[in-house]
Amino acid sequence: MEHRTRTLFNRSFSFVSIASIVLMSLSLVVLLGPIFIKGSGAFVFRGTVEHRKLMLDRFGRGDREAVGIEAARADAARKPIYDSLERFDALLEEGDPELRSKYAADFEELKGLVQELLGPAPGAPEPALLRQQYGQTRWDRAKIKLHEILFVEEYDYSDPTKMGVKILKPRVDRFKGTSLEPVFGQLERGVVYMMRPRLTCYSRFLFDESYDSHFFGGIWPEMLGTIYLALGAMLFAVPLGIITAIYLAEYSGEGHFVSFLRTCISSLAGVPSIVFGLFGLAFFINTIKISPSKSVLAGAMTLAILVLPTVIRASEEAIKAVPATYKEAAMSLGASKWRTILTVILPAALPGVLTSVIISMGRAAGETAPIIFTAAVSVGKPLAVWQTLTQPTPALSWNIYNLATEHQAVDEIRHVQYGMVLTLVMLVLILNLSAILVRARISKRLRA
Amino acid sequence: MQDQLVISKGARRFRRLGALLGHALIVALASSSIVALLFIFYFIVRDAVPFFRLEGFKEFFCSTHWYPSREPAEFGALSIFVGSALVTLGASIVAVPLGVLAALCLSDILPFALRQVVKPIIEMLAAIPSVVYGFFALVVLAPLIQAHGGSVLAAGAWMVLAPIGLVAVAVGGDAASARLPRRMRTSGRIVSWVILAGIAAGALVVLTGALNRLVVSTGTNALNVSIVLGIMALPTIVSVSEDALNSVGRELREGSYALGATRAETLLKVVVPAARSGILAAVILGVMRAVGETMLVWMASGNSARIPSPWFNFLEPVRTLTATIAGDMGEADQVTGSARYHVLFAMALCLLAFAFVMNVVSEYVMRRSRKMRG
Amino acid sequence: MNNERRDFNAPLAKPSAKARADASGPRGMPLIRAKDFSVFYGSKAAVDRVTFDIQAGKVTAIIGPSGCGKSTYLRAVNRMNDLIPGCCTSGILSLEGQHLYASDVDVVALRRMVGMVFQKPNPFPKSIFDNVAFGPRIHGTVNQGELGDIVERSLRRAGLFEEVKDRLGDNALGLSGGQQQRLCIARAIAVNPKVLLMDEPASALDPRSTTRIEDLIGELRGAYTIVIVTHNMQQAARVSDMTAFFYEGRLVEFGDTEEIFTRPRKKETEDYITGRFG
Repeated sequence: MEHRTRTLFNRSFSFVSIASIVLMSLSLVVLLGPIFIKGSGAFVFRGTVEHRKLMLDRFGRGDREAVGIEAARADAARKPIYDSLERFDALLEEGDPELRSKYAADFEELKGLVQELLGPAPGAPEPALLRQQYGQTRWDRAKIKLHEILFVEEYDYSDPTKMGVKILKPRVDRFKGTSLEPVFGQLERGVVYMMRPRLTCYSRFLFDESYDSHFFGGIWPEMLGTIYLALGAMLFAVPLGIITAIYLAEYSGEGHFVSFLRTCISSLAGVPSIVFGLFGLAFFINTIKISPSKSVLAGAMTLAILVLPTVIRASEEAIKAVPATYKEAAMSLGASKWRTILTVILPAALPGVLTSVIISMGRAAGETAPIIFTAAVSVGKPLAVWQTLTQPTPALSWNIYNLATEHQAVDEIRHVQYGMVLTLVMLVLILNLSAILVRARISKRLRA
Repeated sequence: MQDQLVISKGARRFRRLGALLGHALIVALASSSIVALLFIFYFIVRDAVPFFRLEGFKEFFCSTHWYPSREPAEFGALSIFVGSALVTLGASIVAVPLGVLAALCLSDILPFALRQVVKPIIEMLAAIPSVVYGFFALVVLAPLIQAHGGSVLAAGAWMVLAPIGLVAVAVGGDAASARLPRRMRTSGRIVSWVILAGIAAGALVVLTGALNRLVVSTGTNALNVSIVLGIMALPTIVSVSEDALNSVGRELREGSYALGATRAETLLKVVVPAARSGILAAVILGVMRAVGETMLVWMASGNSARIPSPWFNFLEPVRTLTATIAGDMGEADQVTGSARYHVLFAMALCLLAFAFVMNVVSEYVMRRSRKMRG
Repeated sequence: MNNERRDFNAPLAKPSAKARADASGPRGMPLIRAKDFSVFYGSKAAVDRVTFDIQAGKVTAIIGPSGCGKSTYLRAVNRMNDLIPGCCTSGILSLEGQHLYASDVDVVALRRMVGMVFQKPNPFPKSIFDNVAFGPRIHGTVNQGELGDIVERSLRRAGLFEEVKDRLGDNALGLSGGQQQRLCIARAIAVNPKVLLMDEPASALDPRSTTRIEDLIGELRGAYTIVIVTHNMQQAARVSDMTAFFYEGRLVEFGDTEEIFTRPRKKETEDYITGRFG
């Protein structure tokens, strides 16, 4: 090749490889962007008067008087709507069967939708489900509901060669010529006064219990469950991991046993996480019956085995990085081997060991597959410490899956899902960040 | 007492016993990893054996009829194996070139200060839990692919192929004109550039046009999972191959530079061949990560136990071993001891065996590379 | 422990009472005796059948070109070579008449009696106080006041106390190289050893710190039996009473420092100290 071609090839090679780094960084941004933006919507959003009513009723938060006044104002704004609905209802009750057969179904649908938006009419019997006792608590959801009231989704199958096309028809067309016709206009114009949205900072989202399977409230049970599981896993994994690391770094030579041990550790690191879950089910729960059914204890032990290789490897590296001169100095002063390890080597290796522990904790907090069969349930109360021995728990990772796929109203609680994802991501990232800081800080102190 | 050099027999025995006990204790505790691994094997095999005894091997590995809840149940897992393989293949296509290039960039091309910025990005990608990737794939990517599948694919193709095409055109044009006599070379180069660029752009436009017209019936498909799984496997591949590239050593690089090789030539002809076992190990580890991943594939692969037609159609939903275990255990749990319960352990055994073999291979490869390096 | 139950299986063993008398009695009695003593790394003899006596209370320098076995000999005295896999010994090396490689020797007690200072200053990444108190603590001193006394005394002896008295809690790694080395000496003498082994203690230091270390060795003379390995012949001449010249694992010559440096009896010694090799 000519010199210039070679230079050009060289340049373009650098360009392509830098592009790969950029692509990688970009994927992180694309991944975290929506999570941060929409996730913060669980904490800061425009809350309606319904949100404030709920907070007052369920958590006793807010000024009772102020909320009362606001609710009264909202009710006043809503009154014409309820009145028209009631009048139309009465008309159908007494009126001719033709009118009823024409409008009954559509009217019931409309009434249901209005109730979803605004909550039950004053004076109506209180519905059994909590989610039906309040209107929309979030302004973004309220706008979507309003849109559902104003427009009907229909599919146009007129072109048989293509798939159906979604079209929106104004609902008002169904009630043309009735007394309900103006209601739609009133709703559209007056919804702000009926819902009274206001910028709300729901910082207690993390620490509130959830109500009615996450329709309302926060994610404290999940948070607590994740913390229990991660700490519990560390409780088992850290002592075992550090002792194994000490053995590998300080005691073992290069015998067959040691190479077998190393092979086992790396194989353990390669076992798929779901297999750990099955093992936990088959061993901890079905065989030794560590708890009657799923429990935090069983989950934590399963997670402990999962993170054990990580702890061992990083700790061993940290211990091996301790200068041999420290060991010599301690030995020359007459310290025994154990003494040397405990008083000199481990303290010097502490930053590395601590880093590995923190990172493993992040890993344990984020794992889902191992706890599906051993510890996780979808709904639960926050557990006290002693209950962790016998009771299963909700956990962030599992409930993200559960709410996003198996919940009965996946779309309605998107904000909770995003909030959970953001919380989990922040938890893990903060743990990693603090690991980096710990490492930098302690190693700086050690160096000078 | 202070300067007593020798110790009595009793004390010596006591001390030796203590040391022995201490050593025994630490060996026992250190063996916990061995015990854990053996237990995992034992318990998975124990619950997998009844399935093979009941149903035999043939149906499980050769049939695509997966109807575990029907009467009589059928347990043909071939389509599930194919699904796992397909997703892993897709993830490797995404992650291997990207990961190895990124590792090269990190080890040799980026200046030190930038490296310190990129490292945390890789660490963050590695730290994000798999359920978060799954949530992203399900809630963000799947609707996007479903609604604008063709255009997304076309954009992706532009993004990947355009730079590569540009490089190919530039180098190809130069190489083509290199044989011409000196005075015609400049014009010849321009002419061949124009011709090649035309061909490349035409091909790209035709390809992306075809992609653009594609209609994607579901966003939760093999493509979605492959992309996200590829991103998940990236950190493993990047960090392990970067280690391998770094351990090649400066002497080799300097030797190549001293002979007048460019950086690209040095990397491709000297450094990468020298580090190839390490890179191979990195790829194996990345593949292991992809095969073993559960949450992402469970949430975003569509979970349909059918072999896509044609088999490489990434736009169809698939189902993997891990997702089957996770999804079906919920229903099989109550009937511990049924074939439905044991078939999931049979799948876990396959996964475990695959991971174990891959791990031994990667260890062997790594050890050989270390030995070669001396 | 019980003095009566001592095990006298070492060939050179003397009654313990006498050994004590030797150590604390008149200066100049042999304290460390080597007789046909060899150290092997695998099959290679790093120290090859050396025989000489080091006398109590004196400073003995061991010189020789690098790789001559002088450090190996030094590390044999407090059995630091035990840490190296594949290392074994033959012959006799005794301290106060007790063969050090007898099976019933308590290595911990031995190392307490024989302190060591290394080539590179190696303080622990702890505070200055904790560094000096490390030895007394592991040997059972827990009383804080007592520890304080020991630390102050040791630091004073090492000539470091005035410099660091206001910052005993600071990290020892913040000290300068020379200060670190003196701290290591203070740490070694805090357990009140009989013998102080120094393995090229000044080779990693600047000339000024070297002078301070050499002065310090002079001040410690008499209180401790000091064995110093050095490749710096001027240093050996300045600080030592006796000098041993090692060459290729063998002891070539051993005698009064003055004699070795002015009237060497062997040709190799003369060649070495006049700088013809090494």
